[in-house]
Amino acid sequence: MGKIKTFHKKKILVVFLLCFWTLAFLVGRLGYLMLGESEYYSRKARQLHERERDIKAARGKIIDACGNVLAANKTVCTISVIHSQIREPEKVTEVLAGELGLEKEEVKKRVEKRSSIERVKTNVEKEVGDRIREYGLAGVKVDEDFKRYYPYGSLASKVLGFTGSDNQGIIGLEVKYEDVLMGKPGKILTLTDARGVELPDAGESRQEPEAGKNLHISLDANIQQYAQQAACQVMEQKQADAVSVLLMRPDNGEILAMVNVPEFDLNDPFTPDRDTSGMGAKEKQDELNRMWRNGCINDTYEPGSTFKIITAAAGLEEGVVSPEDRFSCPGFKIVEDRRIHCHKVTGHGAENFVEGAMNSCNPVFIEVGLRLGIDRFVDYFNKFGLMGRTGVDLPGEAATIMHKKENMGQVELATVSFGQSFQITPMQLITTVSSIINGGRRVTPHFGVEVRDDEGTLYKSLSCPQGERIVSEKTSETLRGILEKVVDGGSGKNAFIEGYHIGGKTATSETLPRSANKYISSFLGFAPAQDPKVIGMVVINNPQGVYYGGTIAAPVMKDIFANILPYLGVERDGQNSG
Amino acid sequence: MGKTVRRLDYTLLILVLFLVGFGLVTLYSTSAYNGLVKFGDSAYYLKKQFFATILGVGAMYLLSRADYHMLAGLAVPGYLTSLVLSALVLAVGDSYNGSKRWLALGPLSFQPSEFAKLAVILFLACMVSRQKTKKNSILALGAVLGMVLPIVGLVGTNNLSTAVIILGIAAIMGFVSSPKYLPFVWMGGGGIGFVAIFLSLESYRLERLAIWKNPEEYEKGFQTIQGLYAIGSGGLFGKGLGESIQKLGFVPEAQNDMIFSIICEELGLVGAGLLIIVFAVLIWRFMVIAAHAEDLFGALIAAGVMGHIAIQVILNVAVVTNTIPNTGITLPFISYGGTSVLFLLSEMGLALSVSRWQR
Repeated sequence: MGKIKTFHKKKILVVFLLCFWTLAFLVGRLGYLMLGESEYYSRKARQLHERERDIKAARGKIIDACGNVLAANKTVCTISVIHSQIREPEKVTEVLAGELGLEKEEVKKRVEKRSSIERVKTNVEKEVGDRIREYGLAGVKVDEDFKRYYPYGSLASKVLGFTGSDNQGIIGLEVKYEDVLMGKPGKILTLTDARGVELPDAGESRQEPEAGKNLHISLDANIQQYAQQAACQVMEQKQADAVSVLLMRPDNGEILAMVNVPEFDLNDPFTPDRDTSGMGAKEKQDELNRMWRNGCINDTYEPGSTFKIITAAAGLEEGVVSPEDRFSCPGFKIVEDRRIHCHKVTGHGAENFVEGAMNSCNPVFIEVGLRLGIDRFVDYFNKFGLMGRTGVDLPGEAATIMHKKENMGQVELATVSFGQSFQITPMQLITTVSSIINGGRRVTPHFGVEVRDDEGTLYKSLSCPQGERIVSEKTSETLRGILEKVVDGGSGKNAFIEGYHIGGKTATSETLPRSANKYISSFLGFAPAQDPKVIGMVVINNPQGVYYGGTIAAPVMKDIFANILPYLGVERDGQNSG
Repeated sequence: MGKTVRRLDYTLLILVLFLVGFGLVTLYSTSAYNGLVKFGDSAYYLKKQFFATILGVGAMYLLSRADYHMLAGLAVPGYLTSLVLSALVLAVGDSYNGSKRWLALGPLSFQPSEFAKLAVILFLACMVSRQKTKKNSILALGAVLGMVLPIVGLVGTNNLSTAVIILGIAAIMGFVSSPKYLPFVWMGGGGIGFVAIFLSLESYRLERLAIWKNPEEYEKGFQTIQGLYAIGSGGLFGKGLGESIQKLGFVPEAQNDMIFSIICEELGLVGAGLLIIVFAVLIWRFMVIAAHAEDLFGALIAAGVMGHIAIQVILNVAVVTNTIPNTGITLPFISYGGTSVLFLLSEMGLALSVSRWQR
């Protein structure tokens, strides 16, 4: 059928050559893509295939002065379902709902959700996770994970703080030492298919996590426990809103205990201690923030008479007053046009400076303040470090609220002299008094002492260097003597313990507004008086009934000292019998 | 006529059997994941393809043993059948991925457009070789080509790519059968102009151009870009057979049009290049068969088959490498598609039959 002519053959050759050259061109194009552009495309493809999974690093422990672990980790499990791998959805739903104590409907929703991986529950106890794993259900994944665990529950809750869902510190030392404790998360690189399912035989590259370092702190769980007990007791007895107890070493600023009752459960920090039903999300959060507040450092108050220690230190250092100076208290003092009352309305009569301190006589300290004058007083206020923050290693330290120097008149000077009309934190007060009575050098209060790993290798020493001198040795010594007398026979006599030399000062301050008739009773004491090993402070917020610091706060300190002084190796010397 | 029976072209036969075997292996490698995910059977696609291949090899054997001259009688009925089937698929066809291209035959499905290619080759070869024209061949040629327009129209309604292939086959067969060149240059130019107008008429067609130039910027460039990732990941020697990751759902329907990209990923530039060379040799064999055919009918059959394979290989590789805008064209013998492999093997049977009557 039909004859082939030469042109037919020629044309067929033309077609073939056209095809041949086109194919040759395409091979060239392939070479360009597969050699020239190979790096670009294979990198893009790898990015598409690789899934990076973090491996959590174990968080460092927090360990107290005696080696007790205050914050540790425990293994918990995260239960997830992988939709595409589930074979028996009903059984999976049933088992998970039963073991995890969840509503069947809720589990069903997760099981039926078409996602690559769906988390059912986190922070599941290890035993439960192990049990679920033993069912061997296809598509159910049990991943082990670390969870922060606090063996002592609520002990020092506001100091230690706690961690959030990603194991990051939220308050307290957990935040402050995040860098130390956190460690370095590891990574697993795996290849996945388009649905995100990991390929079984694709070699995964793994980068091991680096565990966080342990934080060794000066806090002593035994002392903290005892102090917490004492605080709880007085809070209950006096139906107070809150009680704080601070104990520290005045010579180096190491904090032995910091109690803020009511404490909260560190293992369940997100459950408010008050009924929050009917509250909005914001109010609930406010309620939690209130519960987590550390009164010793987050809140300021009018220190009241305990501040007289500082006025006395400034007066003695400046030489405007000596222990033997004579004063007379008619029950008030007139400053400019204002009559400022002493707490004893009938007056203390004639007294020397030491007696004035023992009586906590307001006119005496007003007089000392006035002798210093505004300039010098403010200078000392600054020099003592009262304007700044103490630098304690906890987050959220509140700043001092003080008159501006240019706004200060004689009346303001007079009120400041006996601890009113300005606010500082309890931490600031105890730190400043520590610095005055320890021989005169400013200390930085702190918890963190050392950073070590689990083997005990020391990574970092955290001790703070001694600060600058703020008063002379002599002033320090004189003041220690005066404060010992306050406890021996003055307003602080309720803190007296036979056989011990204790120095201290009481305070009763009225909170603002004055019309509310709410008081803060406090006592600040240290022992042994001439060589202080420990300084302590008790602050009782809004006690009912009798509210004098000397009556209700001093006995608490006495109780604590009576127990911890022997513990700290401070011996009774028998020279002191009241 | 028909007296000089020779041995058939074993080179062609071996090349075809190699491609079919290679195609099955590649298809299994490529489709195992999709089969498992969609049907719970990694051999799902392989089984269907294998069945069609068996049928196809049978058809190839029968056709290669037959005297192709006898098939001239089937040219017109075959062409009419393809018209009917193509019309039928528009009315009662099954849709898959939004295209109505399949006719259900019990458990089997049949794609009439694949049959149409074979029918057009046979039909045109028969018509052109029967013409008694001395001169004015262009007009006669135009008349013959005009006869394929109905099938192009019918197939093109929902399968533009295949319509273009059919038109291309017809153009090549026309080109071979006419002594002139210039009209075809005009036709080529006209075709390009037509495509340009066609594209600019609808904005979504222009979008296709934009995706082509910059596939990473468009969501619809996904398939293209995934194919390029697969090709680029291959490098010189590839990741090894079965080692592709892009086939794990990244390249959508990797066993279909984009299968060449997975070949690139697994076998590298060397493997992909060798495959193209095998296709080139195959096309060369068609040329040889056509050039030495006993008569014009045989030559045109071989030329038509050559045009068919060449167009699909070139367009497929060009699409996968993003050399031209994306359009759905399968790679002969390799891509998944039972009807396709059945009729491709039938065409091979025809070419082999032609090879037995060589001058």
